[in-house]
Amino acid sequence: MRSSRRHFMLGAGGCAACMSGLASARVLPTDLDPLIDVGYEPVDADERGMWQSMEQIEETIQASPQLLNSPQLQGYTAGIIERLLGRETPDLRLYLIRSALFNASMFPTGMMIVNTGLMARVRNEAQLAAVLGHEAGHYYRKHSIERYRSLRNKTAAMAWVGAAANVGAGAYAGGANGSNWIYAASAINTAVTMSVFQMSRAQEEEADAYGISLMSHSGYSPDAASQIWKQLIEERKASAEERDKRYSDRSRSVLSTHPPTEDRMRDLADTAAFLAKRGDQRVTDGRAEWLAAVAPHRAMLLDEQIKLNDPGASLYLVESLAQDGWTGLLRYNEGEIYRLRAEAGDHEKAAAAYAAATTLPDAPSEAWRAHGYAQLKAGKVEDGRHALNHYLAMNPEAKDAGVVRYTLAQ
Amino acid sequence: MRVKPVLAILLLSLTGCVAPQQQLTSVGFVPPGGNPRIIVMRPDIAVDLLTAGGLLERREDWTNTARDNVLASLQSLQARRGGATRVAITRASAGGEDATVIELNKLHAVVGQSVLMHKFSAQASLPTKDGVFDWTLGELAVQYGEQSGYDYALFLYARDSFSSRGRVALQAVGYLGCMVGVCAVAPGGMQTAFASLVDLKTGELVWFNYLQSPEGDIRTQDGADVLVWTLLDSMSAKT
Repeated sequence: MRSSRRHFMLGAGGCAACMSGLASARVLPTDLDPLIDVGYEPVDADERGMWQSMEQIEETIQASPQLLNSPQLQGYTAGIIERLLGRETPDLRLYLIRSALFNASMFPTGMMIVNTGLMARVRNEAQLAAVLGHEAGHYYRKHSIERYRSLRNKTAAMAWVGAAANVGAGAYAGGANGSNWIYAASAINTAVTMSVFQMSRAQEEEADAYGISLMSHSGYSPDAASQIWKQLIEERKASAEERDKRYSDRSRSVLSTHPPTEDRMRDLADTAAFLAKRGDQRVTDGRAEWLAAVAPHRAMLLDEQIKLNDPGASLYLVESLAQDGWTGLLRYNEGEIYRLRAEAGDHEKAAAAYAAATTLPDAPSEAWRAHGYAQLKAGKVEDGRHALNHYLAMNPEAKDAGVVRYTLAQ
Repeated sequence: MRVKPVLAILLLSLTGCVAPQQQLTSVGFVPPGGNPRIIVMRPDIAVDLLTAGGLLERREDWTNTARDNVLASLQSLQARRGGATRVAITRASAGGEDATVIELNKLHAVVGQSVLMHKFSAQASLPTKDGVFDWTLGELAVQYGEQSGYDYALFLYARDSFSSRGRVALQAVGYLGCMVGVCAVAPGGMQTAFASLVDLKTGELVWFNYLQSPEGDIRTQDGADVLVWTLLDSMSAKT
């Protein structure tokens, strides 16, 4: 069934020692052909049924108030998919969904969903391309139906093992070892259950390899794929540390549908190195293009993240973005993180961040409001009133303008 | 394929685990007087194959046939009843904005399942729902009423499933186990359906009925007629 998947050690043959860094990259990025073309229509009853269910889900998504209504970002992202595939892509339908969680998903019908939580985290166009290419891999390698059929076979096998064990146990119940039948059946079925998850992880590896291959062909720096996971691990460590917990990778489990994050990062980095050695073309990471495309949405993306109440992750994100220099928007959001965390000393940190925001030219009006109230609280009445007036001047129609005017009238 | 009736009776006598068909109607329902404008929404239908391992596998051909059958049953019922009732053959013919109709249908499916679970199942009944029937589709339904001009909307949701050959064979082995004393027969295909009448002025469910049965087959016109009549009879009888 998965004949196209080869272990890299076999592919590398006698040269395994000289490319030892590649030992862990399990799926070669070079031998994965798409299994379906534009205009593909399923024929088999199980696949047609799956498509019908998925089309109903797509109808609800099309009508969902959670859709990010941005033709500009939609067009930009669709453009990346076309560049990856080197053609127009009427077979893939992209939906940008307002959800702060880091995720994207692919449906067997060609519906691709990208969360705003992913947009908040990628640092350049190549990183976004890595995720889009991975999702395209699930589609073109027909992973959904492959996984369903495997699950159908395995659940049937488990049901048969269970039924046979019951008959066996019943027939032998007169003897001493009737329950041994049940134990044996349970052991077999546990192994089958594990293999369901194992297959899911193998598909993820294949999709990773497919995506990185598309990136390499379309001139995106393949390093970007492993960078995403590096950033995510750093973020999760920051989040755990903030909560006085030890970072543990939940995908490091036999019941995980995805491979361990660090393994994926290492595999992708290995594959990128392999492609770089082979590569003869110039690659780009499309950083400037990404920053321009995401700029109009940055305030919304940060706002979504901060409302998750995950101060470690939020600070990591804001501070990472600030490596290019602090902006008024970033300083304001830094202040918001401290204000919401509200631990000892956070009031002062928030006030300092708001104050810093107002010295920068792009400070949002909310920064002036927050700065104003922070100053009033600190007893600096003149500065506070000045900032609140600035807020009203910037945003006279604000929903809370009445409240702010009331404060000023006190 | 469905378990043969003889086999089902045998199964019932052996295990006692097959639920008979049930039917309950919300208390105190008075059918709308006058000549209200009623829309029968395009029914939410799916028919699945029950695989040997117990997965429900959607079958497009069965689903489409069943939906056509249920629509035909609804139309013949409407023709008998008369009145200002329209059956929405397609989603677009329900009037109102497409997004509203999609969301409303989805909402009805979820609310109906909650009613089934918390009002009509002994395992998950809620004390707060004891003696009251106060489910609603809320503002979305009112919004739809304003868009479409209807007074009431009738929703119908049905799921039907049929055992694969593998499932039937597995059940046979299950019976064998029963005979030697370890009895665990995998359940077969099942029909679950419910219908609600929603007041589009308030959004409230003013009437609700459901059925759950290991019998019946909405892939046939007769089976669809039985489903529709069984579900809707208690409402139409009083008008």
